[in-house]
Amino acid sequence: MVTTAAQTAKPATVVKPRRKPRIQNGYAWLLLTPGLLSVLLLAVWPMVLVGRNSFATSDQYGAVTGGFTFESYLALFDPVYAKTMGYSLGIAAINTVLCLIIGYIVSNYIVAQSPQRQSLLLLLLIVPFWTDFLVRTFAWITLLGNGGPILWFAHLLGIPLDPLVPSQTAVMLALIYAFLPTAVFPIYASMRGIDPSLKEAATDLGCGWWQTHARVIAPLSTPGIIGAALLTFVPTLGVFVIPVLLGGGKELLVGNLIVTLYTEFRNQPMGAALSMVLLVLMLLSIAIGALLLKARKRSA
Amino acid sequence: MDRFLGWVTKLVLVFLYVPIVAVVVYSFNASPRTSSWEGLSLRWYVELFGDGPLLKTLQTSLIVGIFAAGLATAIGFLSALALTRYRFKGRAFFLGAIVLPLIIPEIVLGVALLTVFGSSGIKLGVVTLVLGHLIVALPLTTLIMMGSLSSLDPSLPEAATDLGCTPWQTFTRVLFPLTRSAMLASFLLSFTTSFSNIVISTFTSGVGTTTMPLRIYSMLKTGITPEINALGALLILLTLVIIFAVGLQQMRRILVGAEEKDQAPDAAPDTISLQTATTER
Repeated sequence: MVTTAAQTAKPATVVKPRRKPRIQNGYAWLLLTPGLLSVLLLAVWPMVLVGRNSFATSDQYGAVTGGFTFESYLALFDPVYAKTMGYSLGIAAINTVLCLIIGYIVSNYIVAQSPQRQSLLLLLLIVPFWTDFLVRTFAWITLLGNGGPILWFAHLLGIPLDPLVPSQTAVMLALIYAFLPTAVFPIYASMRGIDPSLKEAATDLGCGWWQTHARVIAPLSTPGIIGAALLTFVPTLGVFVIPVLLGGGKELLVGNLIVTLYTEFRNQPMGAALSMVLLVLMLLSIAIGALLLKARKRSA
Repeated sequence: MDRFLGWVTKLVLVFLYVPIVAVVVYSFNASPRTSSWEGLSLRWYVELFGDGPLLKTLQTSLIVGIFAAGLATAIGFLSALALTRYRFKGRAFFLGAIVLPLIIPEIVLGVALLTVFGSSGIKLGVVTLVLGHLIVALPLTTLIMMGSLSSLDPSLPEAATDLGCTPWQTFTRVLFPLTRSAMLASFLLSFTTSFSNIVISTFTSGVGTTTMPLRIYSMLKTGITPEINALGALLILLTLVIIFAVGLQQMRRILVGAEEKDQAPDAAPDTISLQTATTER
């Protein structure tokens, strides 16, 4: 039986005996009110405002003055912004692909272990995953910076290496480090549901390692892989701490632009437009993920 | 090939721990600059506890974290109770609504909150920080509580009601004792979510209510100091304590779903984990 993550999210309705609810559904509404109010006031309504502001005009100080214009969106095509957008998409794509590949390899290894070892390995993944994001970022300054262990080691070997902070290498390493644990869990959850005998059957039927994975294991892990991609791609675009601390603030991500537009330039409409672009990208990737899952189910 | 990939996995684990170990080791470095090593010392820990401005931000972060986590746990519990105990029209829709903040990129949610607080004239400060952290933590606590409540025998609270318990008594005598560990997990995990949050805080903190991560971030912009490493080492310790308090079993269920062997063979799988919610959306 293949228990995939997507299937498990369905609530248990099968085993519940048919019984009239003792308490009226009015109670359910009462219980839901605080949660729904929070989401409405702190997520939905704020997003509506941002959407509205992205079409608004602004005065010379960047304050929203109403009206309706596509100017803010068009301004995003300005070479300065377009360059950051292109760079961010590239970095996010590289980060996602690397996290998916490493996540796949690690998950594939873990599911083959005994339950005790699986627990231990998961614990080893959970600790860095739950460690403070800033700590995980500045650790790389110590590691790669001037006088850090990496440089010391390189000099020991006689390799003349300049301090890696700030550099693009440092940014990339920190991004992978930040997102890898996040990417492993969904893939592992999907893979754990795969019947191990399927792998054996594939091997018995003459599939090599590559074929076993390309035809059996990877397709069955699709929900997890898609989940991992969703948790990595667009969130990478929104990162702003890593480029500042490890990249010297030279090559920026979309997240940096949004922060700058809101807190320094005070150009709300443009900041709002850029935020909407991120939101739309997220929704698009969810839609693509859902379509891929659907296509997979149909072909299965 | 599998052997080779086993080695790759081990290398990845080393990659995951080298930075953590480096922070801890360098926090004991006696040298005032991180770029040279001058022997072991606890000096930076002592300095940490004498850093007034930093301690002030720690206080802010603690207050915000406790309130945000408390609210998120309470609201998450109520929402989860409604979503697991009652069958009503649009239930799936409401589940989607509660976990909606998960799909909004955090930075977008941050600017959206700034916009709404700005336009409604709410002064940025502890309250706006709490509200911002609450909305990020709410999907997490709701899903943790749903996982716990849906594995609960529904006849237990019903029996309590039949025996004349008021809803409050049903909660204190039946539901709370039975879901205590999930409540603790919700509280601790949403506390750490708030305590380490930097994205939402960037947009929702006001003058005088700088949180600790914001303070660390601005300190880091001028360069890393051994003092920050000492703080980092303490935060890593805090992470270990929290994971230990929540329990590995619980942590696993939240992150990757329930154990196969926990599920009755014919029952519909009842797992709700963070990642399933994300893949579902």
